[in-house]
Order: sequence, then C-alpha cells, then structure tokens
Amino acid sequence: MAADVEIKRSKFNIKLIDLLMQLFLLGTGFIVAFPIIIAFFTSFKIPQEVITYPPRLLPETWSFNNYVTAWNATPFDRYLLNSFIQSGVITIGQVVFSILAAYAFAVLQFPGRNLLFYVILGSLMIPFELIFIPNFQLVTDLGWANTYAGLTVPFLASAFGVFMLRQFFLTVPKDLHDAALIDGASNWRYLWQILVPLSKGSIGAFAIFAFLSAWNQYLWPLVITDSTEMRTIQIGIRFFMENVERQTDWGAVMAGTIIAMLPTLIAFLLAQKQLVQGIAMTGLKG
Amino acid sequence: MSQSANIQTKTQQTVNTAARRMNRIKATVEGYLYLAPTLIVLTIFVFVPVITSFTLSLNRIAPFGGRQIFVGLDNYTRLLTDPLYWQSFKVTMIFILGTVPTGLFLAVALAIALSYPLSHLKGLHRLLIFVPVVISSAVAGVLFRWLYHPVVGYINYWLSLFGIEGPNWLASADWALTAVILATIWKEFGFNVIIALAGVQNIDESYYDAAKVDGANLWHRIRHITLPLLSPTLFFLLIINIIHSFESFAQIHVLTQGGPGQATTTLVYSIFEDAFVGTPQRGYASAQAYLLALMVIAMSYIQFAGLGKRVHYQ
Repeated sequence: MAADVEIKRSKFNIKLIDLLMQLFLLGTGFIVAFPIIIAFFTSFKIPQEVITYPPRLLPETWSFNNYVTAWNATPFDRYLLNSFIQSGVITIGQVVFSILAAYAFAVLQFPGRNLLFYVILGSLMIPFELIFIPNFQLVTDLGWANTYAGLTVPFLASAFGVFMLRQFFLTVPKDLHDAALIDGASNWRYLWQILVPLSKGSIGAFAIFAFLSAWNQYLWPLVITDSTEMRTIQIGIRFFMENVERQTDWGAVMAGTIIAMLPTLIAFLLAQKQLVQGIAMTGLKG
Repeated sequence: MSQSANIQTKTQQTVNTAARRMNRIKATVEGYLYLAPTLIVLTIFVFVPVITSFTLSLNRIAPFGGRQIFVGLDNYTRLLTDPLYWQSFKVTMIFILGTVPTGLFLAVALAIALSYPLSHLKGLHRLLIFVPVVISSAVAGVLFRWLYHPVVGYINYWLSLFGIEGPNWLASADWALTAVILATIWKEFGFNVIIALAGVQNIDESYYDAAKVDGANLWHRIRHITLPLLSPTLFFLLIINIIHSFESFAQIHVLTQGGPGQATTTLVYSIFEDAFVGTPQRGYASAQAYLLALMVIAMSYIQFAGLGKRVHYQ
C-alpha cells in the first residue's frame, strides 16, 4: 500500500518535473533566439510601428516595404551574388583540394608523408591575425584587391578539411583499394569513383562548414575590398546599417539582416543534425 | 646450365629492383601531385606570411612610397612602452574574463538541462538554443546595435520594466565593453552549448544508475559525476573560448569601432586600426600581431598538452 503511493507520487513528480523542464527550456530557447525572432517580426513592421513605445512583438500591419527599401537603398543583390561566388569558390576549392591531400595521406605511400602531414596540421595553430597583413600586401601587389581572386584564393586550402577527410578515408578498408588496383583501376579512378561516393556524408558535412565559415568571413573581405561592387553581404550589411542609422530606419536594417542570415539559417534548418554533430565532433565553429 | 640460370635470376633481380625503384619514384611523384594544391596554397598564404610578418615587424614602412626601413626590435620596444598598447591589453583581458566564465557557466548549465530526457519538443528547444551558431558575428553585431539603441532598443525597454534607466550602452565609456561582452556571449552560446551537450551525453548512464542506487540526489550527481567527467570538455571549451575571445573582431567593428575613446579597442582591433585606418603603420601592427599570435599559440599548445593528460580524475 505504502509502496503503491510511493510509486504514484514519483510518477506524478516525474510528470511535474517534465512540465517544468519543458517550460524552462522553451523559455530559455525563446530568450536565446529572441534577437532573431524580433528582427524577423520587425522587418515586417511599418516605420511608425518600429518606433512605437512600448514596443510590440508582432506587427499590426504586415508590410513588405522594409525589404523593398533595403533592396533599393543598397545593392543587396550584388552583395548576395558576391557572397555566393566567394563562398562557393572557397567551398569547392577546399573540398577538392582536401579530398586530394587526404587521399595522399590516408592511402598513398611515399617518403615524407608523415612529416608533411604534421606540417599541414601545424598550420591550424597559426592565427589569422598573424598572417593577414602580409597577405593583404601580397594580394594587393598581385593586383587582386577588389577581385574575386583576392577574396578566395588565399582560402582555397583547408588543413582542417585535409585532417577530417583523412580520418574518414582511414576507416575505409584497405582491401578495397588493393582490389581496385588489381582490377586495373588507377588511384585517380579509385578515388573519384569509389572512395568519394563512399564518403559523401563526411564530404558533405565538411562542405557545409566550409561554406558557413566563408559566408561569415568578415576581417578579410573588409580589408581586401573597398568598392561597393565587391563587398560581401557581411560587410554590406554593416555599411548599410551605418548609412540608414541616421534616418533610424531600423525596419529596413532588420530586413537587411534577415536577408544576410537567410542562407545560413536555411542551411541550419536543412542540415541541423549534421552541423551539430560536426561541431560536437570537431570543435570547429560554423 | 646452373650458371646461366643464376645469371638469369640476377638479371631478373636487377630488373626487379629497377622496376621497384621506378615504381617508388612514380608513387612519390603521385603522392606529391595529390598534395600539391593544398601545399602550394598553404605555403604561399600561411607559412611564408608567418616569416614575412616577422620581417615586417622589424621594419618601419615609410607612409609614402612604402619604403621599408629596418629598425630591429624598435617596434617591440615601442609597443611595450606604449600606454595605448597596455590599454588594449587590459581591454582584451577584461573582455576574456567577461565572456569566457559566464558563457561557459551558462552553456554547461543549459547543456545539463537539455540532456534531461524529455517526452516532447526536444527538437524545438535545441533548435532555438543552437541557432546563434550560424549567425555571423557581423549580423549579431547589427542585431545588438539595435537592441542597445537608447530610444528604440529592447534592452533599455526591458530594464525600464524593472524601473531601471539603462545607459546609452554603446556611447558610454563605462558600458560599451559590457555591451560588447554580452553580445559576444550570445554569439558564442550556441557553439558552447553544442559542445557541452555532446560532452554531457558522452557520460555513461551506468555512473548515474550506480549513484542513484547509492542514494545520491540530483545535485550530488551533477557535482560528483557530471562535472568531473565533463572536465576534458570544459577544458577544451575554456581554451577555445579564450582563443575566440582573443580573435573577436567583427562584432566590435560593427558595435563600437573600438570606442568610445579606447574603451573597446582590443588587441585585434588595435592591429586592424594601426594597419588599415588612417596612416598605415604595418610594421608596428605586425609587431602587435606577433605578440598576439604568441598568446594564441600558447593557448593552443596548452590545449594539445592537456589533451594528452586527459584532465578528469577518474
């Protein structure tokens, strides 16, 4: 009898704790995501409502005007295009070059292999602040300031990608490689027709990371471009904010930030699981 | 007969070694060809600049014409006696102390809460809490610039609900650094929770079961199981957050541009200003970059050394 009561109470407790935890986590979640949620709603408000006091969460009149204003006031289409080209080229370069190098380190045998692997890993220790001034001078001397080459070429290789893909290639049984060679396939064919399709998951995860970190780059695009036509979206949104701030048209600024974060938000929603696993496994920031 | 067979095997052997050597050369060439793109890019844009950066730091670059004048360690001695440098050093240390412990505490507490086995909505909680991870520091900066706005911003509105009159955050020398710190904690939050949660979930259930049998309550379980077993994760997070804080730039550039005065000029921001704003002093900036890099590399080194030792006491 007493035991029965005990069980019932603990079940009740579990339900209560469950409910409290739900509320707590949901509340915390909304606080954390609040700056994004409020930016989203504000971007659809009409100017009078943006400055209403006290502020309200939801717009009373939904309007698309802020997007039109933002789009007309500054070449967002150009910024987006630049960002897509910049991030796309960097992603493709890092993925392809990393596949090649990872293959050499994981499968091929040649003298100097281990030493070079450590040399490449060592580059991960070098902070960007140390190298960006000489890189700026080099890229400017090459005449690449304000060009896509200047935005992308310094980032075409990724030591991290080499490391991550090598780890994956090492898990593929060596027999597969031997069998392919016996069948007369070259290393090149084995890599692209067998190993790469087998590693789609890892390669995809790395590609998302490469894209996100390229898309979110700030310091390098800031110093290497100074013309409006070559700005990326991250730099564009900052200068747009500065220009618009004087007119305190925050609705338009929020529309701009939504435009700027949309591609990464979509990537996050589509590939949340891979992204979270990737970050947890590697400790790499998106 | 036997002699000719012998000669035959010998020639066979030489042919074999020659073929093997040929193969080895081929394999080596092939290996290096696969590595070439990565090696070339890293050499030109990472390894060589490490050296160029150092030679730059030993030179003064004439503002006009870009002529380099060798000045030895002058840039370094000038730095170490420059009160502005020590000011940005101080700002960086306060920035790290402001962002890292608070950010880690919140992230670990929330990770433990998130690991609670809930019946519903698990995905939604995680989605909301993880989302800052994909927001760029620049966008985070713009969002917070608005939230901090003295008239239309939400932060002062919320404070007013508690009867507090908020400061003009970004324009106040006393509050600007705090404002940047809070925005940075938010930006880093998703990343920290993801790593901390992975650490919490890696802890074997059986420890908790055993502790429950022994009658340990929730706090005891957190204090004596979760936290000690989480210490490698915590250590990793500590180091990586210190490194991220050392390197924070975009949100400062968007929120305060290092101001007002020097209130939010960190070491990185000072490098940027000296190298790119006004009359560039790239030699002087490179000396600063070198000192900053040494601090960051020391952190990475501690991390590698610590990884070998596995920090937790089991």
